[in-house]
Amino acid sequence: MVPVLEMEANALAAAPSSAAGTAIHVDRVTVSYAVGKNTRKVILDEVELEIAAGEFVVVLGETGCGKSTMLRMILGQEQPTAGAIHVAGKTIDRVGASCGYVPQKYSLFPDRTVLGNLMMGPETANYHILGRLKPSFRAFRKAVREQAMKQLERMGLHATDADKYPHQLSGGMQQRVAIAQALMMKPTILLMDEAFSALDPGTRGSLQQMLREIWLETKPTVVFVTHNTAEALFLASRIIVLAKQTGPGRAGAKVALDMRLPETGMSLKKNGQRFLDLVEHIELCSQGFEAAAELTLNFEGNAQ
Amino acid sequence: MARFSPFDIQARPNYLLGQALSFVLFVVCLGLYIHTSKARHQENPEDRVVPSAAQLRAGIHSSALEPAEEDDYIAPEGAGKWERFRHSMIWKDTASSGKRFGISLLLFLPAILLALHIGLYPYFNAGFMRFVLFFDKIVALSLLPILIIVFGTDELSKISLIFIGVAPTLILDVIQMVKAVPQEQVVKSFTLGANDFDVTYRVVLKQIMPQIINSLRLNLKPIMLFLFAGEMIAASDGLAYRIAIMRRHMGMDVILPYVLWVALLLFLVDFGLRLVNKRMHPWFQS
Ligand SMILES: Nc1ncnc2c1ncn2[C@@H]1O[C@H](COP(=O)(O)OP(=O)(O)O)[C@@H](O)[C@H]1O
Ligand SMILES: [Mg+2]
Repeated sequence: MVPVLEMEANALAAAPSSAAGTAIHVDRVTVSYAVGKNTRKVILDEVELEIAAGEFVVVLGETGCGKSTMLRMILGQEQPTAGAIHVAGKTIDRVGASCGYVPQKYSLFPDRTVLGNLMMGPETANYHILGRLKPSFRAFRKAVREQAMKQLERMGLHATDADKYPHQLSGGMQQRVAIAQALMMKPTILLMDEAFSALDPGTRGSLQQMLREIWLETKPTVVFVTHNTAEALFLASRIIVLAKQTGPGRAGAKVALDMRLPETGMSLKKNGQRFLDLVEHIELCSQGFEAAAELTLNFEGNAQ
Repeated sequence: MARFSPFDIQARPNYLLGQALSFVLFVVCLGLYIHTSKARHQENPEDRVVPSAAQLRAGIHSSALEPAEEDDYIAPEGAGKWERFRHSMIWKDTASSGKRFGISLLLFLPAILLALHIGLYPYFNAGFMRFVLFFDKIVALSLLPILIIVFGTDELSKISLIFIGVAPTLILDVIQMVKAVPQEQVVKSFTLGANDFDVTYRVVLKQIMPQIINSLRLNLKPIMLFLFAGEMIAASDGLAYRIAIMRRHMGMDVILPYVLWVALLLFLVDFGLRLVNKRMHPWFQS
């Protein structure tokens, strides 16, 4: 195990020291759900996390460890049992337009064409139902349409796809459109929950590449949830591993690993053994909080 | 030629045979009818229980071209068929039943909107859900005497019977549809800057519209059931009123055409709604 840890030296040393503008602050968030009469199931246990503007944070963890739950809290879809979420300094208590969102499924409105899906954001955000009667709406619509067509092209879709309905598109194309739809709002924060998990490896690879390019270009803050370690290493500038605590009397997931990657866009092809070692290290961490804590200690001992 | 093997799940009947088979029962029924009618008319040429073709023709003629007994309209000299149809018994009955049907459909609109709100808004859910569930358990027909006492035998009692009978089911159905809209869609709408109005009407209602229409199609039968029950018990016109009246003088020559006419009308309404769904919601796959 030692070599794995050794090579991680700079990565861990770089850990949380975010000075520049905090985009998202998960402030000691505990989430528990009532099960039965007097018992509560703890999902997240005092999770503390500060995400700086412009970071690409991938939240990793085994299925059921509470990744989506954390994202729901950041979205404002649910309220933490204890603690709070601050986005751009404001406490979040409802879903608003402060973040873009791309879910794994049902990400598009089935009753709208691709173009309709893309235009919906800017239209609803700028013109309410009566406002659409204003003469300025036509010009606005035209501008949005042009912008949408550009966005489509940038996502690798054809102009001929614009009038298709979501069910006529493949899963990969649907997710491209879903990302485009979120980007139409020019979000400074983009939240994605297993957005590529249902796709086949080839499609997934090209979408990862595209997302990475978008991030490098405009540097939005991204929180990307996945259970796929390779995907995390390719996309992330920082990896957060959530893992259930295993000790007696402890329940719920905590941050088991918080790692800034020394470089982004890692892959087996590019980084070889180093990549494999990282994968192994991360997966060990995600398998249990205790184990991870031990590993980190070991590592610190080795590093000195 | 495919072998005729009715007890073979994996049988592959050819197209023509399948089509032919689908008409066999119709032919059998028609044959039985004609046979019975002939036999009864041999015994008693005046038989009214199983009318002959000539009797049926006369019945259709009098329903569709002559005014109802209670009306004293006299067709002007040389009036065309259309003119006489417009003053006929079946026209009058269809119009009054249709009016009741139409008004109750209109009343379902606010019910559907209420359901939309119950499904989406927590406070609406808290305020209305239990009441709707309670009303759903009430056997609507058992309320008919109360309705007649309160509203008399005029339109209101029949229309409220339809409404009370069908609205709770429809409301619960629509609530289910609203709840089945993936949460992702609602959340996504809000992240795209939509407000509550947008989410309610332009995301959720628009998305479940084809399902609502399908639910209405399924509820056509209950609507007709309550309409006919109301008309048979307390009305002075209407399709079911006529059928009930005709029973008294064994007017099978009128009853049978009426039954088929009602079936045709119902089929047309259903067909129309299906067409609307197809045209207006090309994205919808049932
Ligand atoms: N509303 C809820 N009530 C009870 N338990 C819930 C609720 N939402 C999520 N959970 C539980 O929380 C755990 C974490 O779920 P989730 O965040 O979806 O996991 P992940 O996205 O990491 O796979 C699961 O065990 C799930 O059963
Ligand atoms: Mg999840």
